[in-house]
Amino acid sequence: MDRKELEGAVAPISSESLAQNTKAVYYIRSVTSTIFGVGAGILGLESYFGFLFYFAGTAYVSLLMFFILAKGKPAEFFTSPSYVWTGNAFTGLTSFVLTWTMLYGLVDA
Amino acid sequence: MAAAPDLVLDPSLRDWVLFPILLVMILVGILRHYVTQLLQSTPKQQDLLAIREQQALTRGATLRANGKFIPQYSFLSRKQYLTQAFKEGEFLKDKESFLNKDEPKAPANPLAEPGGMDQMMNMLKGNMVMIVPQTLLMSWINFFFSGFILMKLPFPLTIRFKSILQSGVMTRDLDVRWVSSISWYFLCLFGLRSVYDIILGSNNSAGGGMDMGGMGMGMPGGGGGGLPGMQPGQDVYKLHCSEAENIELASHEYLLDEIEDRLLLKYEMY
Repeated sequence: MDRKELEGAVAPISSESLAQNTKAVYYIRSVTSTIFGVGAGILGLESYFGFLFYFAGTAYVSLLMFFILAKGKPAEFFTSPSYVWTGNAFTGLTSFVLTWTMLYGLVDA
Repeated sequence: MAAAPDLVLDPSLRDWVLFPILLVMILVGILRHYVTQLLQSTPKQQDLLAIREQQALTRGATLRANGKFIPQYSFLSRKQYLTQAFKEGEFLKDKESFLNKDEPKAPANPLAEPGGMDQMMNMLKGNMVMIVPQTLLMSWINFFFSGFILMKLPFPLTIRFKSILQSGVMTRDLDVRWVSSISWYFLCLFGLRSVYDIILGSNNSAGGGMDMGGMGMGMPGGGGGGLPGMQPGQDVYKLHCSEAENIELASHEYLLDEIEDRLLLKYEMY
């Protein structure tokens, strides 16, 4: 048994906690993308600026998750440490477009 | 808005088309969630022997996965017992017929077994709950809300979308950004996922769109009470034999071997 395997056996990964963490990231992405959509709609952003707004917002939320939720050590919470940055980054895009479009239309009209 | 506002939309469009569609879509999603929950058949009570037949496999897998936590002799005795029991068909549901070398009457057709039928029904129900409301909603929108421009998208689209998103509007030169209500329907269909997540909590079954197919496939496994990789109609004895082989092949290393050395090493007592 090599060193890495041994460490995995001594401190095994709890799959329930992992699933819980993944779910938390998913939920945060969903909610924030909806809110970003509202923001983009009210600001009246168009075409590329809207999508830029989404990605900037997503990156900001990733930053918050990295420093506040994961306390700078995402490797303790996810099997792949980059999950905080990339995980579910696009799941919220459709919700973003929905609320963006709606608020854009409402403000415009 | 560089070009002068070429169209002015009636605000009552918003009150009587935009909001009703949104509301109806949300409510239909919630309804779908609860209907799916109601339609899920409760797992049937299985008799003791059938459960034991399935759980024996889990037992073997557990031994293989967690064998490192028990000492060598415990592992070996479990290994010996399990392999022998598996090979002799100790855990089989109808042990007598196995011992008498009866030909297994195994129905190869999964439909013939009640468990398989259940799975099919569950899948069918899931698909029905998906398809029926979508068809209804789409025809509802097409019937009542077609033939006018509902809203303006905040992002440009290529001209190819014109025929879909502006269906029923007979203008040749109108910008594709002006869309009719059917595209609002599509936006809701794909975008309401997170709204459902907020209302119903995650793991809801309200979501429209792509992921339902996977979920519909995944759920019936729980209903049948079977293990993954345990298809109805499969020869259980063969599964047991292969599990016995797996256990025999499993290497064992006790986690606490040389623990003293490692501990001392860790605290640099050497």
